[in-house]
Amino acid sequence: MNNTVETKKKRKRASLNERKALKGWIFVLPFIIGMIAVYIPVIIESISYSLADYRVIPAIQGGGYTLSWVGFDNFEKVFSLVIDSKTGETFLEMMFTNLLQQVIDIVAILMLSLFIAVLLNQKMIGRAAFRAIFFIPVVVGAGIMTKIDATSAEVLSTASGMLEEIDTGSVAGGGLGGIASMMDISALFSNLGFGSELVKIVSDLVANIVNIVNRSGVQMLILLDGLKSISPSIYESCQVEGASAWEIFWKITLPMLSPMILANAIYTVVDAFTSESNAVMNHIIGDAGAISPDPVQSAKAWLYFAVVALCLLLVVGICSTFVFYQRRNDK
Amino acid sequence: MNTQAKIKKETKRKIKADFERAPLAERLKAKYLNSFFYKKLLVAVFRFVLLLGISYVILYPFASKILQSVFSPSDLIQTDVLLVSKNPTIDTYRYLITENGYFEALLNTAILSLVCAFLQTFICAFIGYGFAKFKFKGNGAVFVLVLFTLLVPHKVIASSLVQHFVNFDLFGILGNTLYKWVGWETGIHGTYAPFVLMSLTGLGFKNGLFILIMRQFYRGIPDELEEASYVDGYGVFKTFFRILLPCSVPMLITVFVLSFSWQWTDIFYTNLFLPNSDTVLLTSNAFWASMPSTLKDVSASLLEGNITATNSFSAIVMNTAGMLVVAPLVVLYLFCQRYLIQGIEHSGFGGV
Repeated sequence: MNNTVETKKKRKRASLNERKALKGWIFVLPFIIGMIAVYIPVIIESISYSLADYRVIPAIQGGGYTLSWVGFDNFEKVFSLVIDSKTGETFLEMMFTNLLQQVIDIVAILMLSLFIAVLLNQKMIGRAAFRAIFFIPVVVGAGIMTKIDATSAEVLSTASGMLEEIDTGSVAGGGLGGIASMMDISALFSNLGFGSELVKIVSDLVANIVNIVNRSGVQMLILLDGLKSISPSIYESCQVEGASAWEIFWKITLPMLSPMILANAIYTVVDAFTSESNAVMNHIIGDAGAISPDPVQSAKAWLYFAVVALCLLLVVGICSTFVFYQRRNDK
Repeated sequence: MNTQAKIKKETKRKIKADFERAPLAERLKAKYLNSFFYKKLLVAVFRFVLLLGISYVILYPFASKILQSVFSPSDLIQTDVLLVSKNPTIDTYRYLITENGYFEALLNTAILSLVCAFLQTFICAFIGYGFAKFKFKGNGAVFVLVLFTLLVPHKVIASSLVQHFVNFDLFGILGNTLYKWVGWETGIHGTYAPFVLMSLTGLGFKNGLFILIMRQFYRGIPDELEEASYVDGYGVFKTFFRILLPCSVPMLITVFVLSFSWQWTDIFYTNLFLPNSDTVLLTSNAFWASMPSTLKDVSASLLEGNITATNSFSAIVMNTAGMLVVAPLVVLYLFCQRYLIQGIEHSGFGGV
């Protein structure tokens, strides 16, 4: 008797869930249509270009193009591709130098955004104004500013020498003219006895500060959200126990923020590797027109994507070992 | 409870009265001459200076470009002019607006961005709700696809995407006959249709991120709200439109502002789908990367032979055009920033 009642109940619940599940599919339907109609064919097409030889049939013979399967030939070409005939730099070398540079930038962005978010979360004079200023790059988009700077720098570089009358940094707008000369910074650090490698990294970072600040807007927003969600009672109990601000930051704030830092790391990695200011991305798109597909270009792009995906997995793997999830007993 | 509060209030008042009875010098001493105050002051000053410095880093490119936008060519040959012009002129603005067709481009961009932003906001909320509240089979798998679209760089699929839209043919439903009838010779490529199509299917610029944000938001809303609505006789769709959509207005504003502004400044897709077409957008080269001919003549006659100065002047014109592109956005941001920041702060991004 008991059994039948239970099975009846189970069946009824399952059918209700099924009905609800069906409606879930309807909600997701636009995305699935897009996937089937646009995205997946495009992805397959792009991958197939990278594995094939592409030949345009002249218009007299009917037009169109043929694709013949050549396996991994295109990838082999990419591996031995020399992009700069003067220095003999290969595509792979360029990709890995860029990768290294991006890793340094990503670490800097993560640290800066954490620091600024903690500062902006405190009560002080002009907090609203500072917040408004710090999130301008999110809205305006670092992309267009760098594009403007890059284009005007291109115009300027066609001149033989740089203008003395006008600070080139201020016209190109990217650099910060005379905020601190690199020579000063390198001199300071080498006098302090740091290795030249470290000095170079630091001075590169300082030179790159505009870029880094402009790219950390969204991360700051995510962290501010995280800071808001930490319960004040935890801080209160810490203060009662006599913890200093320094201890509270390392023992409470950082672990509680770690899920957001993971989210930030993912966002930053994706943003850094796929943004329009990335040199490798520019190279991939730059040497071929957007309209005509080029197998080697496709191969480059997919090779780069594989490297980026690998990096992302690595970052997620490393970060998730440090992430602390608070167990919630309520609800 | 009540008496306790009363005692507390009394004590506070007593302390205050004692404090006020003391002479002024002693009062100031007690208030400001202690290490606690010094420390606080030091931290505040340090923090303020630091934030001011970083604000400077953010605002400097804008400020310098705006200041230089009023330069006349003659300013460039003078050695003592750096940021403030000696002969300010608004010719740069005037010719950019008249000869490069600023207002036409502004209108086109505004229409495109508004349409895309409305569609994207609504569709991403719709899709995000589906991912958040329905446990259908394959939910996780499809969501991985969303993240995949976020991860694949647009440039990787750019050429295939263009090919796809040039020969766009949805399972043979939209044949060439239809295109010929409408008058599109190169398929839907070169019209707004690819943008609309990609917005409608949640594939637009960074739409994966919007879907993610909306999903996180709807996950944070308690199920009881929907259950109550079901009990009262609303269906799933009515619940979404009548109950959940109004609930998520701050979040929707956030997504709207982000998608609007990212579409506004998007150079990549606009140049991909609308190459050398008649519709001039703010981000097309015809507007912001080309010199108005009058300015070219003026600078050529004033700066004859001085190549560096001529180039600097064209850089300044280009920067000014760039400022004209982002100016409407900054104005919009100043009006919406309260909602934007509130919305993101309540997104529940932490649960990613």
